[in-house]
Amino acid sequence: MIQKAILLCLALVASVGTLSAQKCDLVLRGRVLHLENNLPIEAAYVWLSESATGVATDANGNFVLKNLCPGPQTIQITFIGHKEIKQSIVLNSGTSNLTFKMEEEAVALSGVEVHGHREVVQTTTAVSSLYGEALIQVRGENLGESLKRLAGVTTFSTGSTISKPVIHGLHSNRILILNNGIRLEGQQWGAEHAPEIDPFLADELTVIKGAETVRFGPEAMGGVILVNPAPLPTSKKQVTELNLIGNSNGRSGNVAVAHSGGSGKIVGLGYRIQGSTKRAGNIQSPNYFQGNTGLSETSLSSSLGYSTDKLGTEAYYSFFTTELGILSDAHTGNLSDLLKIIENGAPFSNAEFTYSLINPKQVVTHHLGKIKAHYHLNPSWKLNFQYGFQSNHRQEYDKRRGDLNARPSLDLELFTNTAELFLDHNLKSHWTGSIGLHLIQQANSNVPGTGVTPLIPNYDLVNGGIYLLEKYQKGPLELEGGLRYDYRSLSTSRYLGNRLQEKTLTYQNGSAFVGGLYQINPKLAFTSNLGTAWRPPNVNELFSQGLHHGAAAVELGDTQLISEKSIKWVNSLEFESKKTTLELTAYANQIRDYIYLNPTGETFVSLRGTFNVYEYLQADAFFYGLDLSGTYSFSKQFNGYAKGSIIRAKNTEANSYFPFIPSDRMDWGLSYSFGKHADNDNNRITLSQVLVAQQSREPDFDLSPAPPGYALVNLGFSKKIKVGANGLRISVQANNLLNTEYKEYMNRFRYFTADMGRNLQLKLNYQF
Amino acid sequence: MKNLKKVSLYLLALVAFGFASCKSEDPTQENDGEVITDVTLKFQELNASNALVGSVLSFKASDPQGIEVGKTPTIQSINLAKGKKYQMTIEVTNAIENEDITKEILEEAAEHQFFFLGQVFDSSFLSIQYADAGGIALGLKTIVTVSSSTGTNNSSMRVVLRHDLNKSFPGATNPNFANFVQAGGETDLDITFPVIFS
Repeated sequence: MIQKAILLCLALVASVGTLSAQKCDLVLRGRVLHLENNLPIEAAYVWLSESATGVATDANGNFVLKNLCPGPQTIQITFIGHKEIKQSIVLNSGTSNLTFKMEEEAVALSGVEVHGHREVVQTTTAVSSLYGEALIQVRGENLGESLKRLAGVTTFSTGSTISKPVIHGLHSNRILILNNGIRLEGQQWGAEHAPEIDPFLADELTVIKGAETVRFGPEAMGGVILVNPAPLPTSKKQVTELNLIGNSNGRSGNVAVAHSGGSGKIVGLGYRIQGSTKRAGNIQSPNYFQGNTGLSETSLSSSLGYSTDKLGTEAYYSFFTTELGILSDAHTGNLSDLLKIIENGAPFSNAEFTYSLINPKQVVTHHLGKIKAHYHLNPSWKLNFQYGFQSNHRQEYDKRRGDLNARPSLDLELFTNTAELFLDHNLKSHWTGSIGLHLIQQANSNVPGTGVTPLIPNYDLVNGGIYLLEKYQKGPLELEGGLRYDYRSLSTSRYLGNRLQEKTLTYQNGSAFVGGLYQINPKLAFTSNLGTAWRPPNVNELFSQGLHHGAAAVELGDTQLISEKSIKWVNSLEFESKKTTLELTAYANQIRDYIYLNPTGETFVSLRGTFNVYEYLQADAFFYGLDLSGTYSFSKQFNGYAKGSIIRAKNTEANSYFPFIPSDRMDWGLSYSFGKHADNDNNRITLSQVLVAQQSREPDFDLSPAPPGYALVNLGFSKKIKVGANGLRISVQANNLLNTEYKEYMNRFRYFTADMGRNLQLKLNYQF
Repeated sequence: MKNLKKVSLYLLALVAFGFASCKSEDPTQENDGEVITDVTLKFQELNASNALVGSVLSFKASDPQGIEVGKTPTIQSINLAKGKKYQMTIEVTNAIENEDITKEILEEAAEHQFFFLGQVFDSSFLSIQYADAGGIALGLKTIVTVSSSTGTNNSSMRVVLRHDLNKSFPGATNPNFANFVQAGGETDLDITFPVIFS
């Protein structure tokens, strides 16, 4: 900070010194980046010897030097731990734009610390992230709920315990979640299957809103979520972070600890170990408890890394387990039960508070291990290798008779191997890119002994992909493009009655994207990205055949389904000034052969009663929408924010609407900071409001009409306290302060219950 | 450099092992343990002194495959004589697993209950009361009285088995409790039998 201030002063002094009048009106703009990863370098110092003028780069690595005289100049760029750049340039007329890439100095020579190798996504598509203060605010919430804070991201939930992130109207198998760089592979096809990941392991949650099939493989149609831990430390310094969270609603408690450090003896060796555990009981709606909505969750992750100037290696392991209850009343035996409870609009059971869980419930365990290595062949070329192993075990228990009640009705084991080998180049010229191979292998087995005909067959899946990405960067302009080809083979086998049914299906597809970023001026940037994506049909869409227990629905798959293909165009405009930030994202997504579950209008009669029959169909779909978010500083103490999103989705063949598309929504808030600190910000009060409109674009068939719109008020207070050299942060937050009774259209359990009532939350965050 | 080669070899071996060992299990046949395939209503006449007389009349509803799309259950018509009183017992079986579910229902009597609805009761053609051992409201055994003057010879009776309900819910002791859904739980059986009076 001080260093930066000094540099700025220097720059100021220098520019004053050159104010002598001549025909000197030329402007030099430029950008300074790390050669290693193309990240901008802040506070690099740029000096022009002949003009005796200099400036430090801003947070985006940009610099501007004005009032320059024509003629040859020597530009000199310095930044700590990096090789100095000294280059001769000739200034002719108008404005010049240059990009410089700084190479890290070898450790042994300078004695400077090795810095952690952070993988960043270099993309020209719209990206939003939660980190730092904003991430601390959502600590303790699940992934879906946390990401709701970002414009354009909503949730698709099943009661208050299960929520899945939705990006621009797409979810489940149409988006990808990466746990530290590895595609999270669970049973994501199910609406009631939450992602098996704990956001506590991340120090940054990033949402990429474009179609990113080329980079990450099939299915990244709506976008990608990156759950990234902090880079491993490479110095001896040890840091521990403790989070304690308590909630009044559900009377839940959440403890999370993370400890990281480096070795003093071996330079470049770092580690982190992190864990969290959560316990919650029945959730309370304003007028009643929701029976059986508790949960208990534990997660653990650890990583070990070793870096030298040329080699970077990392081993990572994460474990996640959860046991969660499903609202008892939502589990219905047949259609007439279902209609009765929908008519009632609230649970019949008069539940009380308890932590204990009964059936129906889910028990899920997920292990993920990965090893990663990269090697700098030379300053411009880097070879990367990554291998991940995942084991996912999902057990779903229904209310059953006798001994069967202790046995799961769905018991699936899924093993996934992923391997990736890619070669990055980051040339001193304007080109960067990579070429890679990507292999996914999966084996899914039904564990015998459920006493229920399995919903999906056992299967083996192999997906191979090859891709090429290239990016051109010059001054304010970045252009990129990529190509990919994938081949997937799926062989399934199951018993239908006494008959063994075996099937092998293959899918293949190419995908491509082009994108660009233009920094119009230092405050305003425009990005545009046009990408294609594809998604082969999922096993449940192909093979479902029978009763979906609890949902009172018979679902019929179709093995003739073909891959979905989409083309998504995302444009975004970002404005950043001293007082204002503004981000506008507009997109259009055309999906051919979109797969959806369609009510046939028929019912099926059995001894158990009547069920609605649904079938998987394909139709062309068109999604488009807008996300807008902005902040404004009225004064140093008084700040405001607002964000909102609008989505429109249509079945263009039937000219009808799809179910479970988020309705229009926005939230806004004001915060006031005060205190004794120099920057007056150790206390902060935040008042915010969430406004959600009614979904007026409803599908032709729904069990009940879309619930009315609602408004929620939240109030929070946070305080930072210095405890010696350490920071303690305490916050109290009241969500749904007015205890408003409401139902969210995107919650599948809106048929049965109102959403969560008032919740008071107390949070402690201590770093030492 | 030598070390690097060694490490890459180990890595390669690990990955090869990972990929080679990733294979799905062969599927096994799963018998639906919970499915009810046959429900038999057995009627035996009771005389004036409440003694069982005559032969047992059986009427069956069956669905041999359990719940399978495209198949509909076969339901026999119940034939009862006007003005008579019967003891009705219900037998529930899973023919796939060859399992007597009646026994399980009896064992879990605290969580199960039959309700009897439909036109026969709405029009007072029949009246019914629980007659299970121990005086509990379960419905495996009931006493059914047929009105001596039914307006029609053709009617219907709906038999519902509820599971995991709150048996002490107000009104739930009535075998004709139409709002059984309010007592919570879920439906295991919901069959409408045609009834013929003679």
